[in-house]
Amino acid sequence: MFGRLVRESFVRNPRRKVLVAAALVVGMAVATSTLTIALEVGDRLAREFRSLGANLLVTPQADTLPIEIGGVDYRPVNEGAYLSETDLGKLKTIFWRHNILGFTPFLDVPATIQQSENSDPILAMIVGTWYAQNVSVPDGTSFKTGLSVTHPWWKVQGRWFHDDANECVIGSALAATMPGVTAGKVIYVTSRSPGDSAQGQPGTTQAIALKVVGIVSTDDAEDKALLVPLAIAQKLSGHPGQFRQLFVSALTKPADTFSERDPLKMTPTEYDRWFCSPYISSISFQIKTVLPGTDVRTIRRVADTEGRILSRVGTLLWIVTLAALGAAALAVAATSATTVLERRAEIGVMKALGATNSLIAGIFLAEQLLLAVAGGAIGFVVGAALARSLGASVFGTPASPRLILFPVILGIAAIVAFVGSLIPLRRASHFNPAPILRGE
Amino acid sequence: MATLVQVENLRKEFGNVCALAGVSFRVEAGEWIAIMGPSGSGKTTLINILGGLDMPTSGQAIVDAIDVGRLDESGLTRFRAQKIGFIFQQFHLVPYLTALENVMLAQYFHSSTDEKEAREALERVGLGDRVEHLPGKLSGGEQQRVAVARALINHPKLILADEPTGNLDEANEETVIQLFHELHREGHTILMVTHAPSIGRLADRRIAFAHGRLVEVPASLKTSL
Ligand SMILES: Nc1ncnc2c1ncn2[C@@H]1O[C@H](COP(=O)(O)OP(=O)(O)OP(=O)(O)O)[C@@H](O)[C@H]1O
Ligand SMILES: [Mg+2]
Repeated sequence: MFGRLVRESFVRNPRRKVLVAAALVVGMAVATSTLTIALEVGDRLAREFRSLGANLLVTPQADTLPIEIGGVDYRPVNEGAYLSETDLGKLKTIFWRHNILGFTPFLDVPATIQQSENSDPILAMIVGTWYAQNVSVPDGTSFKTGLSVTHPWWKVQGRWFHDDANECVIGSALAATMPGVTAGKVIYVTSRSPGDSAQGQPGTTQAIALKVVGIVSTDDAEDKALLVPLAIAQKLSGHPGQFRQLFVSALTKPADTFSERDPLKMTPTEYDRWFCSPYISSISFQIKTVLPGTDVRTIRRVADTEGRILSRVGTLLWIVTLAALGAAALAVAATSATTVLERRAEIGVMKALGATNSLIAGIFLAEQLLLAVAGGAIGFVVGAALARSLGASVFGTPASPRLILFPVILGIAAIVAFVGSLIPLRRASHFNPAPILRGE
Repeated sequence: MATLVQVENLRKEFGNVCALAGVSFRVEAGEWIAIMGPSGSGKTTLINILGGLDMPTSGQAIVDAIDVGRLDESGLTRFRAQKIGFIFQQFHLVPYLTALENVMLAQYFHSSTDEKEAREALERVGLGDRVEHLPGKLSGGEQQRVAVARALINHPKLILADEPTGNLDEANEETVIQLFHELHREGHTILMVTHAPSIGRLADRRIAFAHGRLVEVPASLKTSL
């Protein structure tokens, strides 16, 4: 009987049902598309974070005005200051240590490369760095870091060098100019800074034999360089235990107006809040305290602003979704209020015959639920299509539909239909059958 | 005979309109009572209170040992489903349900549906060949017979009929009154509001109202035929 009542009440007044369903379709379509895009935004942000790699660059303070042309540092090697390798473990002791995902020191040495002891020397930059180095942290633990963490997008053909071996990885552009050099070949490198020993310690003038183990493409200046373990570059340049630049990969919170304020002008509570938020500015500040005499700069600012825009888009989408759902609920409320009024007589008769309020509410709710399922399903399809085209115009690639949203949308549709019917149903349950039966 | 209905000093006010101004009477089980009186004298108000559709302002209305005035809303709902069979002047069938379904609806609200029993009830009011008809396809008399079948289906203690023939032509009135005769003979307790003296005379007893009070039954109605 219940099914029969619901069915009968469902097929009656199809125009109004279409209206309710249409309101639900529109609401759910908007919800589907905005949720799809919001998920896309989230994914993109996460991907952005993952591919972000290093986002901070630490350099000695004296070294802030580089003379770099085409990726080549034209200053004499010893002109700038150096940083000490032994301090690096302290990075894992700052307040936001867990947000420090990795760091990689770099030391550039101008050098010559020879394919054999007697062949013509080629001028090239040697870049000493870590691939996956164990760093001991003052708290007694150790931490593995290097290019593998901070520069995940650098692709190597062959393999990376071992940090403690006489191995090297050659930049793809440099490899192109040295046809004979392939993985497995041994080459010889010599420091090209004979006259600089006035200020620094003299680098070794001995050629070091290194085995090429891979060819790297970085889409960066390193494509023209030879990448070697840091220790070897230190030996070549005569700066043991030192490096010039440090790339740090830190998980940060997108900057906002608060993070851009001057910490020195904050009240103590504001300062605490700032210090305890993983803003780039607060993490930079904390890095500077453990590595004194350094400058910390943000790199890949583009990603940062993009992240900010995306999170704002996300907020906007939530507002639009809520507004659409609210409008749908209002439409449902308006139509079901009319329905309830129109069917007052029938409700009165059923009550006189002993129908309980919950039974009458159940009939209406079941009907609304059917409408919600229909409207939600259609709305999902429409919304998925909408997300495709919207995604295409917002991100350049269409946002793919997410089936996981389907039950969510149906649930939301049911809630909207339910909430929309609540007030009319309350009214129906307060109907007094006596006046209805006398025809008032 | 046991007393089924006991009304004690019953009052009902709507704002400052006094629909019932202290009414007392009893109805024994199995009696057929005609309630008579001019328009606005409180007949429907009394029926509604006895049927649990309205609450008295003061006084008591006891039906089958239940003080209707003390029931809460869900109690009233259960009371209506279990104890009362209503028959209205306007039939009040659910328009989109067939005759059979209208009868089964009352079963459903009472406990559970039983199609066979519902069919038998319709056969008994002479509508065995109309079970699948919608109310709109039935004549007034047929609709009222469906309503009678619906009122009887749950074996109510008390049948309350508010001008059941008020909307019927003479021929249909005759059929419906015939049904009431049969119900009475089977031992049902019936309270029936009517304006027609000819119908009032058929009942065991007549209760006359005027301005919300019981009055002396007019001499013209005293003798049953
Ligand atoms: N819900 C209500 N609100 C206000 N006044 C009401 C209400 N119901 C009934 N009344 C009033 O109570 C009085 C009795 O009404 P009731 O319907 O009981 O009369 P009745 O005897 O059934 O009349 P009729 O023969 O015309 O059906 C009337 O004056 C009526 O206007
Ligand atoms: Mg009346």
